[in-house]
Formats: sequence, structure tokens, C-alpha cells
Amino acid sequence: MKKSPAETILSSAVELLSEFLPNKSYLYFPLLSSSLSWAIKRTKEWKENIFSWEVWPDPGIVEVKSEEFIYSFFKNNSALDKAYRDEIKRRDFSTLRQAFSRLYPVIGLEDPFLSAFFHQELKTGEFRKIVKEFDAKVSQAREDVETIQAKTRLLEGLKTFADEMVSIGSDLFSRKDVQKAVKELVKKNNQEK
Amino acid sequence: MNSRFRPAKTAALLYILICFFLLSSCVSHLREAKFYYTQGEKLSRVYKEEKSLAYFKRALIEAKLEVAKHPSAQAYMLKGMAELNLELLVEAEESFLQAFSYGFEKGEDWAKQLSLYGLGVSLQETGLEDSCLKIYVYLLNRSNFKQVCLLASQRYSDIMLKKALPKKGKERGKILADLLKTAEKLTNKDLSCGFYHYIQSQVYSHIEDYRKSFEEAVMAKELGLPTEKILRDNDNQIIFCHRKLKEELSPKDWEYFNSLYLKWMEKWNWEGPETPSWKKR
Repeated sequence: MKKSPAETILSSAVELLSEFLPNKSYLYFPLLSSSLSWAIKRTKEWKENIFSWEVWPDPGIVEVKSEEFIYSFFKNNSALDKAYRDEIKRRDFSTLRQAFSRLYPVIGLEDPFLSAFFHQELKTGEFRKIVKEFDAKVSQAREDVETIQAKTRLLEGLKTFADEMVSIGSDLFSRKDVQKAVKELVKKNNQEK
Repeated sequence: MNSRFRPAKTAALLYILICFFLLSSCVSHLREAKFYYTQGEKLSRVYKEEKSLAYFKRALIEAKLEVAKHPSAQAYMLKGMAELNLELLVEAEESFLQAFSYGFEKGEDWAKQLSLYGLGVSLQETGLEDSCLKIYVYLLNRSNFKQVCLLASQRYSDIMLKKALPKKGKERGKILADLLKTAEKLTNKDLSCGFYHYIQSQVYSHIEDYRKSFEEAVMAKELGLPTEKILRDNDNQIIFCHRKLKEELSPKDWEYFNSLYLKWMEKWNWEGPETPSWKKR
């Protein structure tokens, strides 16, 4: 596998240091070199994974409805028919369309957030009040929604740490230079005992 | 014995600290922003508006942190998408423009096209409909990403229908015919996509061809729709077509159509011809 520039520099530095250090302490350096190379590679992999994670929004509904659809919406709801009798009779689509844009999500689509929000007005049949106050009230309600709390980073961090330790273990012990170094260390330790 | 192992222990501790440091810096705000944004979309899909807003707000916070620490085209794109969902249109437009000024790298085509779409939406909401229409047409013709085509087709249809509304006669007919042609082209490209059938159903409704509108809406329902909101709107379209066809059809044709309608109703577990399962009774 091709080494990144950082990994190459690291390997050279380890090689150079091993020339000067006494008592075979340079034997630790393959381990240090490998673990740092692993960390550098792993960081790059993580970054690539995050950047290639595609996120997509969903499409919305077709909001522009025909006059017949709007007429049918008002005419087939007895409470709306009563509240907008004059406009329906005059086929005043300028007013009806404007009211429709506010009332359709609440009454036609039964949006749970909006239905709960305008519960009182719906109960008393104050549809014009809903239309009049819709933008300001909904905008305020959206602002009032509290931000979700961030995940507990400590627990997530510990889980990541455990996963990565397994990964570094399997990665390092598959490298010949590290295996050789560990062998030398064990040998050295046994001799000293 | 302890002093002999001190360097080894120190080294081990050092490795762990280095690794932990490197890894914790990898848990970037961009990843967090993407996570929260995706959760927000999931909740919005099932009509949990309040919770989804809370997630979009967190996504925006994370995206802002990412922009401040490691600015990139994707970081700005995420910030813009969260802002769009929170209806912060001016800020969203600025974020998408920033995303383009940073430039997208190879393999980030999806993000580039999504940013273009986002820019279109923010322009549309601020009244620049002709400029964003060009963006949607470009995306519809050029994009290889299905999701981008879905998004652009809905926006394109809405603008074209809005343009057709005040027009009369031939002029109106031409706009609607062109829109229908585009909708048919999209449907033919992906016949199994319920959303394209939904768009076609909506266009047929404006053309006042309620039989075809009904058929396309049924196809859309059967093939599946991306969100609960679209599904409900499509159900309302089915009910509307049913009403209109009752007025239009001859008694004999109506009897035949209604027998078919009742079969569909039974299949969908509707309680009555105008009461889908989600409707309050």
C-alpha cells in the first residue's frame, strides 16, 4: 500500500532516532511508528466516510391546486361552507385561495402539529382567525421548539475508543516489523529476569 | 521492577492518548450535522413536525460549528439545508453561495446538485421564480440522481402550475401541455416511481381530466409515496376525482366506476369513500 507523506516522514524519523538511542529502546519505535501511521490512515478513512455520506431532503406536495379542487374543499366541509358562504357563492378565488393555503394543511391534511396548535380555533369554528394569525403564530411556535440535546459524547467516545482499540490491535499485530519488535521485547524481558 | 517498566507504561499511555485525541477530533461536527439532519428528515416524513424541527435546529448548530472550524462546501451545504427547513431563507441563500465559492471536489456531485437545488428553493421563496425555474429545468435535464430529479420535479411543477393559473384558453393549455409532457417523460423514465405518478395526477387535475388524474393517483398510492404528507394529499386527490366523476359520468359509467372505487377502498381499508384511515371521523 502506498504510504502518505506523513507516514513516510514518520518512518524516516523513527529510523534516524533508532541510530542514536541506547539500550535497544529503539525497539519501541516500530510500535510507535505503526500506531501513528494507523491513526493517520484511520483519520483519513473517517473523513472520507463522513464526506461520502449522502443526505437528502424529501420532496414536498404540489401546493398549487386547481380552482375546482379549492371549491370542492370548502364546499364539502359543512363548517367551512358556512364560514365562507359569501366567497363560495361569488367564487371569489382570490380570498378562497389565500384561505386555502392556510386551512388545507390544518383541515385537509390534518397536520398533527398544526391541528394541535389551532385546536381551540378549530373547535369554535374560527377559521378566519386561523387564516389571519397563521403565519405569525406558526412562525413563533417553530421558534419556540427547543433544540434537541446533543448526544452524550462521553459514552459515544468510549464506544468509539473500544472499537478503535480492537482495530489498532488487529492492524498492528498483522505488521511484520511490529511482530519482530514485540518478539525482541519479550526476549529482552526474559533475559533480564 | 516498577521503575524498569515505567518507560513502557508511559509509552502505552502516550499511544492511547494520541489515538484518543486523533479519534475524538474525527467525530466532526459535519458528521453530527448530517446525523441530526437525517433524523430530522425521518421524523418529518412521518409528520412529527415538532421533533423534526428540534433535530434541524441541532443540525444547524453543528453545521455552524463545522463551518467555523473546518469550512468546506459540504459544511455550508448542510448549514443551508438546515436553514431551509427552519425557513431562514436569506441565511440559506448565503450558505449555498458560500458552498459554491468553496467548490465541490470529485465525488461530491450529489452535494453540488443538492446545493444548486437548495439555492433554487431559497431564491424561489424570496420571489425570484424565473431564475430558480432555470435551475430546476437544468437539474431535471442533467441530474443522474433520482432524489434530485424528485425534488426538482415538484418545484418545477408548482411554478409551472402557478404560471398557468391566471392564463386563459390556449396560453394556459400550452403551459399545462408542456408540464404534462415533462411529467410523462419523468414517469416513463421510472415507471415504478409513485411520486412521478402523483405529479402527473396533479397536472391532469388542472387539465380537468379527472379519470386520468384518478388513475395516476391510484398508481401513486399503490407504488408508494415518500412522505405521509404527500400520501394524504394524494388521498385527497382520489376523493376529489371521485366527487368530480360522480358529477360528470353518465349513470351507467358512474355505476361501473363506483364499483371499481369501492374495491380500491376495501383494499386500502378505508371506512367510507371519503374517509381514509388517517382522517379523523
